Amino acid sequence: MSKREDKVEFDVGMYAAREKIHPREVDGTFQRLRHLAVIVLLGIYYGLPWITWDGRQAVLFDLPARQFHIFALTFWPQDFVYLALLLILAALSLFFFTALAGRMWCGYACPQTVWTEAFMWMERWTEGKRQQRLKLDKSPWTASKFLRRGSKHVLWVVFALYTGFTFVGYFTPIRELSVSVATFGLGPWETFWLLFYAFATWGNAGFLREQVCIYMCPYARFQSAMFDPNSLIISYDEQRGEPRGGRSRNIDHRAHGLGDCIDCNLCVQACPTGIDIRDGLQYECIACAACIDACDSVMDKMNYPRGLIRYTTDNAMEGKPSHILRPRIVIYAVLLLALMAGTAYSLTQRTPLAMEVLADRNVLYRDVDFETVENIYTVRILNKDREARDYVLSVDGLPGAEVVTRPEHIRVDAGGTGQVTASVRVPREEARGTGHSIELRLQATDDEAIQRTNTARFHGPREE
Amino acid sequence: MPVAMSKERWLQCLGSTLWPSFLAAAVASVVFFASIDPETLRMQTLPDWDMSRMAGYTIGFFMFWAVGLFSSSLTYLLSGGGNRRHE
Ligand code: SF4
Ligand code: SF4
Repeated sequence: MSKREDKVEFDVGMYAAREKIHPREVDGTFQRLRHLAVIVLLGIYYGLPWITWDGRQAVLFDLPARQFHIFALTFWPQDFVYLALLLILAALSLFFFTALAGRMWCGYACPQTVWTEAFMWMERWTEGKRQQRLKLDKSPWTASKFLRRGSKHVLWVVFALYTGFTFVGYFTPIRELSVSVATFGLGPWETFWLLFYAFATWGNAGFLREQVCIYMCPYARFQSAMFDPNSLIISYDEQRGEPRGGRSRNIDHRAHGLGDCIDCNLCVQACPTGIDIRDGLQYECIACAACIDACDSVMDKMNYPRGLIRYTTDNAMEGKPSHILRPRIVIYAVLLLALMAGTAYSLTQRTPLAMEVLADRNVLYRDVDFETVENIYTVRILNKDREARDYVLSVDGLPGAEVVTRPEHIRVDAGGTGQVTASVRVPREEARGTGHSIELRLQATDDEAIQRTNTARFHGPREE
Repeated sequence: MPVAMSKERWLQCLGSTLWPSFLAAAVASVVFFASIDPETLRMQTLPDWDMSRMAGYTIGFFMFWAVGLFSSSLTYLLSGGGNRRHE
């Protein structure tokens, strides 16, 4: 296929029904790296829910119980700050890596890329290589086409369903889930989300593919804002390649006024988004490096040096030095490190206990006897630990203050909440005036370290 | 307006309405349900309905999605999305 044809096919694809892109399979360092990334990432995705930790699923987002388990850690809605931190960390890392290495994320780690790659493998096993697939597209519906297509779709659907099943397995214990699936006892919501995720996977990785990157991905649109001339990009070395043209292997092409590009179009055929990298950096490019590997193989055959298409930077392309350490990178890195350290530190400092103190809204204060006034509070306790605990409440902040709860030892189950009415009693003479600050301290009876302190207001009779 | 939208444009339309609203709905659901338990909501509004938390989450998610979809579609329409070519 000539270059023009490829180009036209793509342009037409933009306005009329799109021609399916059949990327040519290439082999090379980067493709092997990508395959490794795909296998590792999918391995993590499909394997993680099956890992057990301390007798329960290691990673489980237990929505019905409103708890997230991640190995030794358990998160509660009260720990929402960690989720926010995680999102900020993720965003910062994306900035950092984009500034440093361009669209590495797209090429190696984006779920869209990873699942598309897996789906393409299945396509290759059933329908063959690019040429065969192109032929198959055009051929009439023979038994063999039916068989090939059919087996591809069966593979896809099974894989997508398993993907959906795994997805739900992050929210419902996956072992129980597999039993429900085997006995057709799946609940309606689980069924729904399983099918939903399976359908999304099947549609995105089987059919939409590069269109997700081109039309739907916000990152693809704004990543250029994070680029600078020192960011790693994939680029064609125009200086070296042009003028392009066909030639026989043995001639001295320089003497014939030709550059190193032999115009074989392999880079275009290899590209999963159907662009020609020789036209310059385009936002459709997902930095998958397929064109690098394709071109390197050609360069090897021609006995030219590799790297006509390569990872480089704008600066390097213009013959200027590239800097890895630059203010932007340093700032991102420092922020990232500080945030990670902060998160890690606060995770180690977390007490598995939360409490809420609500003052009784109906009565400001009550006289217990001539010497003492009391305020009533409702104390809500959340035991975030994995074992049941007893707690005692104590008060501080006003001389002679004491607190009475019934029972004195408040027992709260693992992961449970408890509620107790606490009456704080203070000698009348000390309690005069409203809005004293008192501190209520909740303390586990069996572990010094587990305690929480909340401030509350104490109101006494008006000053005389 | 073209008589019939090409398949490509349909995709683009869906891509720029369904998808952003989906993302927004996902974020909104997380933030919302992290601070509010659907169980409490149900108790306060429809105490006689028998609805699990999962049902609550799912309904909430689709409500957010619907709102987002409405907004995205308007944006798409008003910015002339249907007539624009991909440049
Ligand atoms: S231009 Fe090269 S790196 Fe970019 S998407 Fe195409 S093949 Fe991948
Ligand atoms: S693969 Fe390399 S040599 Fe072949 S057309 Fe592309 S840039 Fe030129």
